[in-house]
Order: sequence, then structure tokens, then C-alpha cells
Amino acid sequence: MARLTIDGSAIEVADGTSLFDACRLARGESLPHFCYHPDLSIAGVCRLCQVEVEGMPKLTIACNTTVREGMVVHTRSERVRKASQQILEMHLINHPVDCPICDQAGECGLQNQYMAYGLYDSQVAESDKVNKAKALVIGPHVVLDKERCVLCSRCVRFCNEVTKTGELGIFNRGDRAEIGVAPGRELDNAYSVNTVDICPVGALTSRDFRFQKRVWMLKSTDSICPGCATGCNVRVDHEAGRIYRLKPRRNPAVNGSWMCDEGRLTYKDVHAEDRLLEPLWNGRVVSWADARGHLAHVVAGGFALVIGSAHQSLEEMWLLRQLAGTAALSGGLAGSDLAVGDDILRSADRTPNRRGLALAGLAEHDAAALAGLVRAARGAILVHGGDPAAAPDVAAAMAGRQDVVYVGTHRRATAAAAALALPGAMWAEKAGIFVNRQDRLQAFAQAVARPGNAREDWRVLGEMLPDQGRAPTGLKALRAGVAADLAPALAPTIDLDRLPQGGVPAGGDA
Amino acid sequence: MDIVLESLAKIVFMFLLIMGMVPALIWAERKGAAFIQDRTGPNRASIAGIRLAGLVHPIADVLKLVFKEDIAPTHRHRALYNLAPWLVMTVAVSTYAVIPFGDYLELGGKRIPLVVADLQVGLLYVLAVASLGTYGVVLAGWAANNKFTFLGGIRATAQMISYEISMGLAVMGLMLIFGTLRLTDIVAGQGGLLFGFLPMWGVVLQPLGFVLFITAVYAETNRNPFDLPEGESEIVAGYHLEYSSLKFALFFMAEYCHMVVGAAMISALYFGGYQIPWLPRPRLEQNAGLLLVIMLAAIIAVSLWFAVLFLRRVQREKGKFGDARDREPVLGAGLWLVIAAAAAGAFLLRPWEIGPAGASVAATVFQVGAFVGKVVFFAWLFIWVRWTLPRFRYDQLMRLGWKVMLPLGLANLVVTALVLAAVGGGK
Amino acid sequence: MSFEGLPKGSTDKRRSLLESMYLLEVVRGLGVTARHLLRNIFHTGDMPTMQYPEEKRVYGDRFRGRHRLMQREDGTPRCVACQMCSTYCPADCIYITAAEHPDPAIEKYPATFDIDLLRCVYCGLCEEACPCDAIRLDTGIYEIAADHRDKFIVDKEFLLRNTTDGTR
Repeated sequence: MARLTIDGSAIEVADGTSLFDACRLARGESLPHFCYHPDLSIAGVCRLCQVEVEGMPKLTIACNTTVREGMVVHTRSERVRKASQQILEMHLINHPVDCPICDQAGECGLQNQYMAYGLYDSQVAESDKVNKAKALVIGPHVVLDKERCVLCSRCVRFCNEVTKTGELGIFNRGDRAEIGVAPGRELDNAYSVNTVDICPVGALTSRDFRFQKRVWMLKSTDSICPGCATGCNVRVDHEAGRIYRLKPRRNPAVNGSWMCDEGRLTYKDVHAEDRLLEPLWNGRVVSWADARGHLAHVVAGGFALVIGSAHQSLEEMWLLRQLAGTAALSGGLAGSDLAVGDDILRSADRTPNRRGLALAGLAEHDAAALAGLVRAARGAILVHGGDPAAAPDVAAAMAGRQDVVYVGTHRRATAAAAALALPGAMWAEKAGIFVNRQDRLQAFAQAVARPGNAREDWRVLGEMLPDQGRAPTGLKALRAGVAADLAPALAPTIDLDRLPQGGVPAGGDA
Repeated sequence: MDIVLESLAKIVFMFLLIMGMVPALIWAERKGAAFIQDRTGPNRASIAGIRLAGLVHPIADVLKLVFKEDIAPTHRHRALYNLAPWLVMTVAVSTYAVIPFGDYLELGGKRIPLVVADLQVGLLYVLAVASLGTYGVVLAGWAANNKFTFLGGIRATAQMISYEISMGLAVMGLMLIFGTLRLTDIVAGQGGLLFGFLPMWGVVLQPLGFVLFITAVYAETNRNPFDLPEGESEIVAGYHLEYSSLKFALFFMAEYCHMVVGAAMISALYFGGYQIPWLPRPRLEQNAGLLLVIMLAAIIAVSLWFAVLFLRRVQREKGKFGDARDREPVLGAGLWLVIAAAAAGAFLLRPWEIGPAGASVAATVFQVGAFVGKVVFFAWLFIWVRWTLPRFRYDQLMRLGWKVMLPLGLANLVVTALVLAAVGGGK
Repeated sequence: MSFEGLPKGSTDKRRSLLESMYLLEVVRGLGVTARHLLRNIFHTGDMPTMQYPEEKRVYGDRFRGRHRLMQREDGTPRCVACQMCSTYCPADCIYITAAEHPDPAIEKYPATFDIDLLRCVYCGLCEEACPCDAIRLDTGIYEIAADHRDKFIVDKEFLLRNTTDGTR
């Protein structure tokens, strides 16, 4: 342990800690910085995090300095303030200051730090600024504006160190220096939008989000990416019931600071054209009241088969098992939703909660077996989520049946095959728990309102319980039931209703 | 047979007088309110671009009310809802039956008393019929099945009960003095002079009674400052809130009819009715020729003065609007000049050589004119007071009625009786 | 609590006997209204009433009327859809959707720019917020009327056509 004094207050940190982190602890906020990033190597190019260390003749950058016993550091002295201001002014020499049309405005490092440390008048005439290429499409997801760049090199380091694809580099010297793509290549790796996230200014912008919304209008909700079994922690940015983008939330145990480009687009499914918005009875829109009537008629003799899916939350899976009772139970199509994964984040399993199925005690079946179960069912069939009828075998087995009830979110094969299709909620429209490939329980919260007449799945399923006395009265009650039932599989310290921010392994904090 | 014809003629005259005054009063109300409040008031409705200082507005109002959709609430009491406006209107008009509007008219040696029904209990008839008007208001408020109208009806009832008493007490003073309930006798009794120079009007004999009576009349007619049954700022429009089209028009007209009857009652009881002070009937007949000449000269002078005012406006506002409205002052000047010319033309008939029969008719015309003039003034006083005083609060209304006016009315009655006993007057 | 500074007698509700009798005060009130009435009958022209459609009040240059969008020399809107105005707008009456402009020098332009004139409070904060001087309330137009609510939501083309002299 090293003891040092920062801005007059004594602090003790582990040996080998960077002075940058120590200052953050002591100050309660970060030093001004552009190039430093916790999940990238130290570059030390922006020179903004300079601090005054007693005994050192010159100011030193905190990010590349390791703490030493007895250090006396000043981060708010007049010298430091002046240095930050001058460095900032230098960064802004050739900056176009086109904040009105810049997507980064509102979450921009330059803007924020100018407001905190700068506040000077520019000494550079607009005509003297070096002009560079603007609005350059450099990949399927990213647009580059070379003028706005402060050459912090975060994006270059990301491509070199994380994806190891090395598409980006800094070209030319002096005030002609600019970020560029290596000749003959484009920024097309599977994680390219992370460069947009880490870009402290508006040099790199996302083509998907570009000009869609000013960022200060967005509200954020913590959630989990439903794109694959990795369960990257994300932030859902939304406004007025519409999701505009997903941003990764830092969780070193799961996804570091990153997420894949594919995962970022999973929100599109929430606003898809073919969302199931109203209850359908044989393809015809009916009211919920009528739907309940049809339901009561169809399942008069109880369900004979209940099919779940790895896309639903843990609570819903558990509820589905309660609902099944003695009926045949399936976790859905085995081997569905598989794709190629990689060793960075993307998992081959493109469902968010396959481990949850196992935890809740639902087994999956392959298409032939599932079709067999459907044929064998002497009574109503309930399909919750997923799209098992996408498999031709299953669809054939369901064909002609008038007793298939589907609770789902899209008008796809299963909704068409079912006699009664009831609109449920997507992940962003409800709260729940996913269990990722590490058997880690992670909670997601409701971000946007449910469209049309869609309802929370657990309410829909709860109404179907044969014993209405056991229908959950709320999410808290539902989770209490799950916790009681899954107690052997879960560590006793886990409170399903209050999972920690970064999730928790099913076996406890091991 | 003659009596029927006579009565019909008198009824028609009275009815036309009232109905003619209603639109004029509505115009006076709107224009007077505007001028009192430093506004120009209604001046947009026009006939061929001529606006006649807003006089076209009553016509436009009537057209609008006639052609409006008659909207009625669903949960009304159908019969009473339809009855209420007719009741209000009928009562308002029928009060006039006992009010003398002149002494008598002598035609072909036959004297026709100028009152529709010379009841012995005329005063009681007026009080009785006037209070029936409240039934219309109460029924309207109740039958419309609306909280606001209901509140309006309740307020009207309470107000009527409170002020009817003071009104009766005030009038009893007069009754003691003149010893009669017949209105013609009361008016005739005010023709004399008191101490040789004061006209023996009710207001001179009973000043306190007059104040109480006029206050009670204002309360009975639901006019400001006693218009709580309407109270548009508290209960939207009170009892007639749910009425529209012609039914509303009936309420609206009834209010002005009540005003006219109130004004007529004040004139008849306290201002000598048709009596012209210092000019009793015999003197009127003797000097009819002279009076006619003076009157015609006065008409000519006033008309010429107005014509000059209009001609000045013609000069001042030349081409102000650039359309038909520019011709309005010309029209006004022309109108007054025509009146002046007609009055001048009347001299050709040699009015100073009028015979005894003609003199009698002329005296009757003068008296009826004096009565109408008094009624017009008191009707205008209703309007004038409305745009001067704020509305009472309900508790103030009740306090005034029961704790001020009732004791004062009793005191007035007792003092009058004692004085009469002392001087041995009364009949 | 201190009552210093309050006018003396402001809470004094005592009235003289004559005032409390009310009658004289009524007559005095009638006198006041009669004075107004007579003055206005004989000096009709001195009344402050304005014959509105024919006569109109002259407003200063800084009067804030209906909005207009400023044009570039080529007639396209100067607006870059930064949405500062809609962010700042206290009435929440400006709705902008941005789009990518083919010219990278312009980059961003408003695909739609709608103002709900019924919601607008004509405070002028959008003018203040605009970094490009693209929106102004200097048309001097204050006669804003329509027979349907939808017609008060004016679009980009309408706002671009609005001119300062009020002729539209």
C-alpha cells in the first residue's frame, strides 16, 4: 500500500495504482482527460491530465504515473488549471466548433471540459483553421469527421488491442495529422461502433444513430443486451416510448466496456413492423376481453403441452413451469438461434437466457422431438415466446390444430400457426432476469411503454394458472416464488429483487 | 260592445308601448354600458352599410335568437321546462293592466279612462302578480335539472320572500295617506300641491317609503345590484342557463318588461304618474295652444342643434372609412332636419287656435307623454344603476332585506300613521 | 412580522355614518358614471376604442409576431436542425426531424420543422437559442387565426415563406 497526499487529503491506495485512479478516488471525479481509457493501454497523448507533484520540476501526466509512497500531489493549483486550459486551447485550434450539427454535443469531452476548465475566447480566426474531410463514411456503421478529432488515439488503440484488426491509424504530422483508415480497408470489424463510444469528441459517429436525436433529450435505463448468451450490460437510450440506441455499460466481469455492433441493433426488433400489438384469434384482431373468452374455451380441459423459449426471462420460465403442472413441458427448439461466435464477446448462442431454461428446469427438444410432442398433445398447447413453428416439422404438426395458444411478440410463423395469439412484451418493455453463459444472473429494467395492447407476459401467463389463488400479484411476489423454488440452485445471498449492478453468479460471489 | 273595443284599444296601446320599449332598452343598455365604461359599444351590425349607432343590433339579435337551434337538456321536466318562460313573460306583461297611463280621453263627448282595468285593489293586484313572476324563475331553475339553474331558482325564491315584505310595507304608507288601493285614485291624489308650491307626489310625502320601494323593486326585478339569481360569475347564468333560442329570448324580454313595469310603478306611486307638476288638467286645457307652440319650438331648436352636431361630424370625418359608413352623419343630420321641418310644418295647422275638444285631447297627450317620459327615465335609471353598482354578496343581500329594510319599513308605517292621526289627515 | 412600510390606515375599515348609509354613495357613484356617459356622448372621438380591422395598432420593431425561417442565398433553410430552439422552448412547440444533407459542408438539415402556433407563447427564446440566426419572430404578424387546430401547426415551407412585412 502507498500513502500519498492529493489536494491536501491523505489517501491510501494499492501499490501500482496509476496516479490517475488515485486522483479520481481522492477528488471524487476524474481529472480532465481524452486519451485515458480504463480498458485500453496508456497513450499519454492528450496531456490534459497533468498534475503538479511536489519535487518534480515540471507538471506530469497522471495517467502514466504510478503512485509512490509519500507523494504530494496538487490537481487544482493555479499552475495545473492554467496548463489544462492551454492544452484545451491547443486541442481546439483546428476544431470546427460545429456543435449544432454534431451528434456528440451534450456528451462531448471538449464541450464539458471547456465548460469546466476553458471558458476563454478563441485566438484563432475561423479562416486560419486547417480544413479536413468531413462526413466520411469509413465503415458500415461509422462516419468519420477528421476536423473534430483531437487525436487521442483511443479508436486506434481499440482496433489494435481489442479487436486486433488494426484498420485505423494516425496519418501525417503536425496540424495535418488526422485519423484515417488503412489504405484499401474499411472499419468493418464486428465491434466498430465501440470506437464511436470511446471517441471523446464527435469525430466518429454512429450511422445508425446519426441525427436521430439530440443526446440530452434521451432518457437512460439500465438493461441487458438480449442479442446473445454473453449478456453484455447495456444502457437503453430512449425518448417518448422509442429506443434510439444501446450503449455498453462497463462491467469488467462480463463485457468490459464493449459490445458488438450486432447487439446494438437488437433494439430494432422492439419497433419492428411485424410486432404483435393486439390479440389475434385465427388471424383476426380481437379485444382482450374476447381473447379471454376464446382462451377459456380452448383450454377448458387444461394444457397438454407447454413450450417455453430461451428468449424469455427467468421469472417467466419458472411461471411457465408452474402453469404446466402435469402437462408435457419443453424449453423450445434445441439448437435454434445459433451462429458463429468469437472469443471477444459474441457468443454462438444467440439467446439471452438459455442457462435460465436449465435453471428453471425446462429441457429443450430438437425439431423432430418437439413435433412429436405436439402431435402427442391431447389438449391445448401453450407456446410462450420464441418461434418454434419456424421449424417446418413443428409447423406441420401444429397445422390444423385449433387449440394452440401463443404468447409472443411478433407476427411470425408461430403466431400464424396458433389459433390464439396474445401480445406479450419485449425485453425493453418489461423487467426481468437473464442468466448469461457464465451462469450470471443479471437484471434488466423496463425502458419503454408496451406498444398497442401488449401486456407483461407474467400477467398473461398468471391469468392462465389453473389455481388463480397462486397467480402472482406483482413482480416482487413472482420473484419471491422463483427464489423459494430455485433455492437449491441459487446462493443464499442472492436477492432476486435487488440484484447488484453488475449481476451476480448463480453460485454466489465466487 | 264599446267597452270591449275601448279595452282592446287600450290593451294594444299598452302592449305596443312595452314591446316597443324592450328593444330600445336593450339598445340603451348595451350602448349606455359601453359609454359609461369608455367604450364605443355595439356598432358593427348594419343595413346596407348604415349602422344607426348600433340600433340595428336588436334586429340582428332577434334574427339570431329566432334561427338558433333550441337546445334542451335531456333530463328536464318537459312540461315545466316549457311552461317557465311563458309564465315569466305572461306575468310581466299582465301587471300593466292596472297602471293608469293617463287621466281620461274625451272623444265625441265620451270620457274614456286611460287604464285597462281600474281595479279597486289595483295595488294588491300588482303585488300579487309581480310575485308570481318568481314562479317562472323557480320552475325554470328546477325543471332544467342543472345545479346552477337550481341555485338560481333558490336564490330567486329567497330574494322574493325577503323583499316582498319591505315592498308591501313601503306601499302601505301611501295607502294610509291616500286611503285607497285603487291606482287611479292614488295617481289622481298626487295632482295637488303641498303648502301651495310642492307637487304632492308620493316621493315628497313618503321619501323613506320611496327609497325602500325602489330598492325592493330592483330586488324583485332581479336587476343589479340584486341580480343574484343570474350571478353569471358564480352560477354561470343562473335560472336561464339551460334555455336557448326563443325560450331564452322570452326570459330576456321578460327582464326588460319587468323593468318597464317597475319603472311604471315607481312613476305611478311616487312621481305622480301622468301628472305634470303645477299644470293640473284644467290649466292644461286652458293653455293647450300656448303649450303646443312652446313644445313645437323646443322640438325645432333641439333638432337643429342635433343636426348641427351631425353636420360637424360630416366635416370632421370625411372619408374616414371609405365606404357606406361615411354617409352615416349625413343621414343623421338629414333625419334631424326632417324632424325640425315637420315641427315647423305643424305651425301651418295654427295650433294656437285649438278648440276646446282639441284642447282636451292635447291635454291627454301631454299627460300620457309625461307618464311615458317618467317611465323612460326610471327604466334608464335601472340601466344606469346596473353599470354603477357592484352585485351584492348573498349575505349582504339578506342582511339588507331583513335587518335594514324591514325595520325601516315598519318604522315608516308607524310614523306615517302617527303623523296622519295628529294632523287628522288621511281618508 | 413587521408591518413597517405599509400605508397607514390600510386596514382601517371604519366608515363614516354617511358612507355606511350607502344611499349617498350610490348617488355619488351614479354621478361618476353619468360624467363618463356624457363625456363620451359629446366627445365620441376621444374614446380609446380602436376600430380594429380598419385601424391597427402600430407595434415596435422588436414586437414578436409569427415565426419565420431564414433562408440561405439559394433558398434552402439556414437551419441546421441542431434543435437548440426545441430544447430551450418553454412551451415545447417546435418539432424538428433532422436528416443528412448531401453536401458534407452543410451535413445536417431539417427534414421537417413544425411549430405549433397554439402552444407557442411567443417568448422569443428560440431566437436567442439559435446559433445560426435561422429562426426569427420579426414578421410582425399577430393575426393568427384558423378554423381547425391542425392548421395552426405550420411546417417548414410555410415558415420559409413568411416575410417581415406581414404580407406573407
